[in-house]
Amino acid sequence: MDVKGSKKAKKATGSSRTRNRLRNCETGEKMAQRRISGDRLFITVVYLVAMCRAVPIGDLLDRASQRSDKMHSLSTLLTQEMDTHFPPYGRMQMQRPAECHTSALQTPNDKEQALQVSNSDLMSLVRSLLQAWVDPLVILSNSAITLPHPAKSSISSRIQELQEHSKSLADGLDILSGKMGPDAQATSSLPYTGGTDLGQDRVTILNKFAFLLSCLRRDSHKIDSFLKVLRCRAVKLQPELC
Amino acid sequence: MRTHLSLAMLCVLSAAGVCSSTSAPGRPSLLGCRSPEKETFSCWWEPGSDGGLPTEYRLFYMRENLRGVHECPDYVSAGKNSCFFDKEHTSIWAEYNLRVVATNALGNASSDFLINDVMKYVKPYPPVNVTVLANSSTPSAYLQIQWKSPPNVDVKSGWVTANYELRIKQNGKEWKNVETGAQNVLNLYSVDPGASYMIQVRCKLDHGNWSEWSNTTFVKIPKHHQIENRFWILVFAFALITLLATICILVLKRKLLLSLKQWFLPPVPGPMIRGVDVQLFKSGRPEDVVNALIGNQNFPPMMPWTDQVEEYLLVSDSDAWQLTDPCKCHKKKENLTIELHLESKIQHRKSTPGQNAWEKAEESKDETGDLESSDVSQSESNLSNMEPMKLLIEEQGCPSTEKAALTNVIQPLTNTTYVEFQQRENFWDISPTQAEYSRVKEVNSETILILNNENILPGSDVQEQEVNGEVNTPDDYSRVKEVNSDLVLLQKHDSNDSYCKKKEDHYTVSISQRPTTPHEGDHSKGLCSEMVESGYVDSVPGFSVK
Repeated sequence: MDVKGSKKAKKATGSSRTRNRLRNCETGEKMAQRRISGDRLFITVVYLVAMCRAVPIGDLLDRASQRSDKMHSLSTLLTQEMDTHFPPYGRMQMQRPAECHTSALQTPNDKEQALQVSNSDLMSLVRSLLQAWVDPLVILSNSAITLPHPAKSSISSRIQELQEHSKSLADGLDILSGKMGPDAQATSSLPYTGGTDLGQDRVTILNKFAFLLSCLRRDSHKIDSFLKVLRCRAVKLQPELC
Repeated sequence: MRTHLSLAMLCVLSAAGVCSSTSAPGRPSLLGCRSPEKETFSCWWEPGSDGGLPTEYRLFYMRENLRGVHECPDYVSAGKNSCFFDKEHTSIWAEYNLRVVATNALGNASSDFLINDVMKYVKPYPPVNVTVLANSSTPSAYLQIQWKSPPNVDVKSGWVTANYELRIKQNGKEWKNVETGAQNVLNLYSVDPGASYMIQVRCKLDHGNWSEWSNTTFVKIPKHHQIENRFWILVFAFALITLLATICILVLKRKLLLSLKQWFLPPVPGPMIRGVDVQLFKSGRPEDVVNALIGNQNFPPMMPWTDQVEEYLLVSDSDAWQLTDPCKCHKKKENLTIELHLESKIQHRKSTPGQNAWEKAEESKDETGDLESSDVSQSESNLSNMEPMKLLIEEQGCPSTEKAALTNVIQPLTNTTYVEFQQRENFWDISPTQAEYSRVKEVNSETILILNNENILPGSDVQEQEVNGEVNTPDDYSRVKEVNSDLVLLQKHDSNDSYCKKKEDHYTVSISQRPTTPHEGDHSKGLCSEMVESGYVDSVPGFSVK
């Protein structure tokens, strides 16, 4: 738990740093009010000094991709934890009960397609996906507390951590996309229509929970991959990152 | 016969039975799929029983967002009982519904569905080209391990992100795992020289599944650097011993050390008076002190005074004296001069003669100074003998005219009052404009008065005289009061002055090389201004008279 908490704080401050740099460069004021430890505060101050010069987008994307990598790791762990006590017996035999609520979004499905998408479009896709998962994460977080699963506490804490990362990453990408042009700012709306509760009986609840987690894992993987593609495009001068 | 028939029947039946035991194939089972680079994937299945007939296996799949049932595009590339999906047929974030159907002449059988997202199948091959270098440079040896990412993995574009893990094992010990993140090199420092190690590396893509461990790489760390270390240790030890020996030699031979020290840090010379030996002062003898300060004096040997010496002082108060003095050095109105005529026999100072002489000086206290002793005539005859006198009294500036001065003195010297003294030539540089007065320079233990012909600025004297209301009393002039056996010179103060009386016996004259310390002289002068007109003698650099 302590490790998670520290990771949580690390993620929060890192993303807040990104956000603060960019926002303050535009407005000139308004520090973030996140939890910032002493050394992070110093780093933030340093960045504030340097921020209104051209902070390379590559650095910002690097931070963003680190955040998304953490998110994907959390979602993978969640699905694995879910499967240890709820073998996908039923899911093995049948298709998904439904399609993910984000499946309407046209995303590249393989490498060639992904490498042909422009930076702005990729950023738009990423932001749309992030935006789409705000509400479902709330539902997941609420349901995890009463989940009929032995590992519900661990699952619940991971979901909360995911929520924080998602929020800070979204804020950072809002500012980052502002630097990339109007196309990057456009997002698609993907509302979640699955209702606020997951079901009545245990199996239904677990099924739906598992289904949502698998959708989340997929979308977090997409977000991570797209951001890393963007990062490697932006840091041509630093080949050690890619 | 029957047995033969039965046997034949059995044979036929058995043959028929073999030939006829065919059935539909058993159900194959899908083993799994794998995508090594997140661009293609392959699936494998295990066939069931084939039912005795040639069986054909076909794989069908359905894909999310793709209508219809499709068959495996490639059965060959991935080996037997496999299906290979190339890049065109692979969609990463889509679920594939796979099944294998075994078909033979009698029927078919289908396996279970395998539904999964391809991203769950991502499992790369192990890293390649694992090279290990045992770098044995000083100070410590370390292992330099390098590897390359698996083939076909596209890390450059950012499509996949590889994370590596390394494990190392020393012979006889356990594996140690080291996470290296995304880098391809690792320097391992915690190695023992001379030991053998086994190293393996594996990787994973995008939080997928770990690959298998790479082939083991063996390495042995050489020991020769130990010899190098020993060599350097010997060199350093030798240098250290040499240094210590040098220090010991320097310490023991202090002279050498001191000479070295002096060579490096020469001492700063302190103040020094030329010709003066500081050690002399420490002995404490006043005569030594005075000798040292005044310098080496080639005073003539002293002659004892005899009782036969008649001494008298002529004190004159007239200006005529001065005018007739060819070497007049002074322009004061009233000059108190004391003439001391000493017989030639005066060679040794004794207290009584001295007293007599100075008593005469006493008598010359009167302002008129009209002292004419009855011995004037005698003085005349004695004048000629004055030259060889060995008194240490010096005349100021008029070496050649002393006789003349004396003759002048014999004349009524009502107003001139000064003392003539013989002069020693080789005492000091005497300028013609020097003042008429001699100064008592030194008094040694044998009560010899030494007068010093220091330059006395007449102007200053005049000023002082005018200021102080005294007559002819430069700063460091003091009046000779008395000459005792033990003392050389006492300044006599006016008896009217009570203060001066006290000073009779305790007059301290300060040692002064220049007339710049008029303190005591002033002091005495100020108090005894009335006595000025009588004879006076320049004060000697100070020493207390007891």
